[in-house]
Amino acid sequence: MERRKCTPAQALAAIPVWVLLIVLALLVLVPVSWILLGTFKPEREIIAYPPTFWPETFTLENFLIVGKRIKIWRYMLNSFIYAFGTTAFAAFVNSLAGYVYARYDFRGKNVCFVLTLATMMIPFQVIMVPLFLIVHKMGMYNTYWGLIVPRIAVAVSIFMMRAAFTGLPKELEDAARIDGVSEFGIFGRIMLPQVKPAMICLIILSFNGSWNDLLWPMLVASNTNMRTLANGLALFVGEYTSQYGAAFAGTLISLVPMLLMYLFGQKYFVQGMASSGLK
Amino acid sequence: MQWYKRAYQYWNRPGRCAYLFLAPSLILLFLFNILPLVMAFVLSLFDANLTLSQMTFVRLGNFAEAFADSRFLGSLRVTAVLTVVELPVQVFGAMIVAALVSRNTRRNKLLRSVYFLPVICSATAIGVMWKMILHSNIGLITYLLRTMGLGKINFLNTPGLTIYVVAFISIWRSFGISVIIYVTAIQQIDTAMYEAAELDGAGRIRQFVSITVPSIRPTFWYILLTRFAGSLQIFDIIYTTTNGGPNFTTESTVSYIYSRAFTSGARMGYACAMSVLLFAIIMLATLVLYRKMNKEDA
Repeated sequence: MERRKCTPAQALAAIPVWVLLIVLALLVLVPVSWILLGTFKPEREIIAYPPTFWPETFTLENFLIVGKRIKIWRYMLNSFIYAFGTTAFAAFVNSLAGYVYARYDFRGKNVCFVLTLATMMIPFQVIMVPLFLIVHKMGMYNTYWGLIVPRIAVAVSIFMMRAAFTGLPKELEDAARIDGVSEFGIFGRIMLPQVKPAMICLIILSFNGSWNDLLWPMLVASNTNMRTLANGLALFVGEYTSQYGAAFAGTLISLVPMLLMYLFGQKYFVQGMASSGLK
Repeated sequence: MQWYKRAYQYWNRPGRCAYLFLAPSLILLFLFNILPLVMAFVLSLFDANLTLSQMTFVRLGNFAEAFADSRFLGSLRVTAVLTVVELPVQVFGAMIVAALVSRNTRRNKLLRSVYFLPVICSATAIGVMWKMILHSNIGLITYLLRTMGLGKINFLNTPGLTIYVVAFISIWRSFGISVIIYVTAIQQIDTAMYEAAELDGAGRIRQFVSITVPSIRPTFWYILLTRFAGSLQIFDIIYTTTNGGPNFTTESTVSYIYSRAFTSGARMGYACAMSVLLFAIIMLATLVLYRKMNKEDA
């Protein structure tokens, strides 16, 4: 696009806009970099007054301290299991359901569809108590299954996949059907590869959602060996209010996977958030 | 013929396999979404403990108790204040910022990725961050206030003030998503409209009011509805910053339900009754907004 020429008056009018945008950016960048840099400061520098921005003494001791205080690597493993497990099952179950709503006609379709739609209106926070009781009764309290299974089926994801599958040409599946490909094969080998962007969105959203999820792990993963990074760190921070360095290091460790994902998948991240909404 | 081959032949028809493919999602949604909702309504009429081994039918006793419970009423007030403060910023503030950064220049792309950054941070990380920044002795803000010659303010422990700090942090967290959603919508608008307006001599502000705002109406409602429901369910930011304090002045309804069910006394029936009330409020408010939306669009 050609750069528009502006008169001095217009340039002057742009100053408040610039100020606003930069202040907003600083509001994000300062706290984030503060914590990132704080991770590499020794405890006494963190609690010193006046505060320093750039570390005067560079150290990695906080990572060792947090490792001694809490089972940070165990939490990390649990977070990975929770996020990977939920995402893998969610990708399969929700895309399959979306595919059915987009491509098949059958008796009772509308009822199933409306029922699925209705679950979108049920806020998690409203059902968390009975949900906990169900999971507890099923013997899944403090297990990975308890964390993962209730979080697999998500109506929003089903609708996202349905929208993606709806746009595909009918010839694609007809040709495969004539060639004798099984119905599941048509879904998995022919149609699914056509909706890769939607699939990537679903995967990123699901992974990010479970990685940063705090409430559900707090309810069903209270055992120290089952805690995820989100609730393990939150508990640690709540209990030891004066161990800043360790808290920073734990926070940084928990942020790294999401930062990497954001760096490499920003486009899909943004697309997914924009198309399927927010938590 | 072996049984599995026969089963395969039976199910491998478009009309039949649909049920098979749909079954996992329907079963899971029923077990973990619909059933808990039904249970919430049923349990709200009982006094029940954590394992449901002791259950006494108390009719509407839990609801009566809730309306007389000052902590519950206080939590409703807190939730309302948070919603009222957060909503305009998310809905209008994000719209204006989005309009300013919607063109795909390098500067705007950079700004957008910065604004989006908090979205990938967990509530725990955000809590640690802001507790440190706002720390009453060693925080950055405290330092700035002191160098400007102002006294120190205990942002996270002052009744009456802390709730606005929590609202700010909550906005900080999800402002980026609102902006990105608006940007996506604004980019869909036909650029010919802006060109025509430019020829007619309409300025940038006039273009924003007369073209951008009406064109992104559906997005406006979408953000309003989702953010609204979101703020009524606020929990994790509160848990990681103030944990409801000081003196319950920042305890939201969900925070209170959580503490009643899981940290003190395990009163599952009472917690369910409050959940049902919250559900009713969310549904009612959403319905009112939804009707307003339909009326305006018609």
